[in-house]
Amino acid sequence: MRTPTWLALSALAILASTVPACRRGTDAAAKPTVALVVKTLNNQFFIDMEAGAKAAADSLGLELIVQAPEREIDVERQMQIVENLIQRQVKVLMLVPNGSKEIVPAVVKANAAKIPVVTVDTRVDAATLAAAGATVATFIGSDNEDGGHMAGLFLVERTGGMAKVAVLEGVPGHETADARLRGFRKAMAAAPGMQVVASQPANMERDQAFNVTQNILQAHPDITALFACNDVMALGALEAIAAAGKGAAVSIIGFDAQDDARKAITEKRMAGTIAQNPREMGRLAVITAHRLLKGETVAAEQPVAISLVK
Amino acid sequence: MVTRTHWRHVVAGREAGTLLGLAALCLGLWIATPFFATAANLANVAEQSVIVGVIGIGMTCVILIGGIDLSVGSLVGLAGVVVGTALQRGMPVAIAVLLGLAAGVVAGALNGVMITAGRLPPFIATLGMMSVARGAALLLSDGRPISGFPDSLRLLATGRVFGIPAPVVLMLSLYAIAYFVLTRTVFGRYLYAIGGNEEATALAGVNVRQQKVVTYALSGLSAAICALLLVARLNSAQPVAGIGYELDAIAAVVIGGTSLLGGSGSVIGTLIGALIMSVLRNGLNLLGVSSYLQQVAIGVVIIAAVLIDMALRRRVHRST
Repeated sequence: MRTPTWLALSALAILASTVPACRRGTDAAAKPTVALVVKTLNNQFFIDMEAGAKAAADSLGLELIVQAPEREIDVERQMQIVENLIQRQVKVLMLVPNGSKEIVPAVVKANAAKIPVVTVDTRVDAATLAAAGATVATFIGSDNEDGGHMAGLFLVERTGGMAKVAVLEGVPGHETADARLRGFRKAMAAAPGMQVVASQPANMERDQAFNVTQNILQAHPDITALFACNDVMALGALEAIAAAGKGAAVSIIGFDAQDDARKAITEKRMAGTIAQNPREMGRLAVITAHRLLKGETVAAEQPVAISLVK
Repeated sequence: MVTRTHWRHVVAGREAGTLLGLAALCLGLWIATPFFATAANLANVAEQSVIVGVIGIGMTCVILIGGIDLSVGSLVGLAGVVVGTALQRGMPVAIAVLLGLAAGVVAGALNGVMITAGRLPPFIATLGMMSVARGAALLLSDGRPISGFPDSLRLLATGRVFGIPAPVVLMLSLYAIAYFVLTRTVFGRYLYAIGGNEEATALAGVNVRQQKVVTYALSGLSAAICALLLVARLNSAQPVAGIGYELDAIAAVVIGGTSLLGGSGSVIGTLIGALIMSVLRNGLNLLGVSSYLQQVAIGVVIIAAVLIDMALRRRVHRST
């Protein structure tokens, strides 16, 4: 029968394509394997984090697996990846949760398998974690609320304290973007001349940010400042604002300081961004994993510095 | 005697290729990694196939009648949010679950009405519903996830029946029912008949419209059941849950050998298709393959499955 042969062949072809990965696995039989699961690998931020983690893993002699769901909103898929890596018996799990509450059942499973969990960039919800009786070893990341506040203060300074402001929110309910938003709103509340006329989610995605910004411009053609909870959205907003011919009139600030955003800032198309240091987060996460493997205790919070890029 | 011919029918049918594909994949992974063929991992894989598997049942029925349902992913989000909102407002678990299932059934039936009475192509009707249901889920939840549910609901995800994860038991039971309905009941036979030749079926006196509305309602129901499982698994109802699930479900159906033209295929094929997808994803995770390459691999499997389906169809055509 020809058909099964076909399918078997295609299955083998796929497996063959994975052979380099397996071979790496056997060569590294002596090396302990640790895993980093990020939100998505469609975002420069996480690609930088991966690079930082890889460099540290290489120098410490750790085998590192990096995995991510296709979409940042896909908590279920991230949970599947975590479950699979638990089966893979990785020694430490470094995790950037897609959903701070939703990922808790996966943390419970890691705890049960005695795999320490290092959270990076985004926290796991403390109350949900406590209710489930689960624990994480440490949190490594920036103070996002502080960063949002920094972005707000910068817009106040740049606009002279008088502006109509639009805000692009992240995925509703996601801790990182929510924290940035809280910090930004705090800065806005303290500046009476700053009026937030629109605040809409664009789910951290560039094309959604483009559309949402176009819609905001229809309702509020007179906005003079825009804060986006990440650079990906800020860049989408930038395109929409430029397409409306208002490029010079609106001060845009993003978050993450990605290469594209930095370039837009040098070209004076964007006002600023808040630099996190994803590379440092990745590096620190792997160093922490290494310390946990050696049985050392680590601090519950390991802050990574943020700064304003303008 | 009946069972034996039946078993032969199952194994020698179109599912044979798919089943062998699954076997080859498992064998390959068993050789490639020591972490694959462990009891814990196999239970894990089975659990991970549930989401796509359950929606796949409804999708198989819809595709059998020559239709398509693009709204199921959004219905997962909507039904989940309905359950979450009901629980948040203090309703008993049973009522909340019934409301969630009802949301799926009503939205699905509405798809069916638009397609029959409104004469809309299924692609358009369900594409519209995809957007309406997603918007409704976001409106109802104010765009925010609802979390923290009673343990009785969470049992759907965390429970074990004779050591087998509860979602897997539920999925297999649903498949058993669907298999029985499709092969042993008049309703099931009519689905194949409609997909094979709708006009002739109508001329034979079958109420095709009613049959279609029920089929789309069933698809909505399977999306709602999937929503319950997802809510229980994540302990959270998310308005953005289920994005892209319609494509995963269609992929499982197609890998399972059901023809997109309607009239031929089976739910057993879909179950194997869903398993192939979860085994593949699991294996690629275990091997630490790059996330980018994983997407390529899944695409290749879908295309290969359809190529096989077409090759098989040509041969059947020649031999008759």
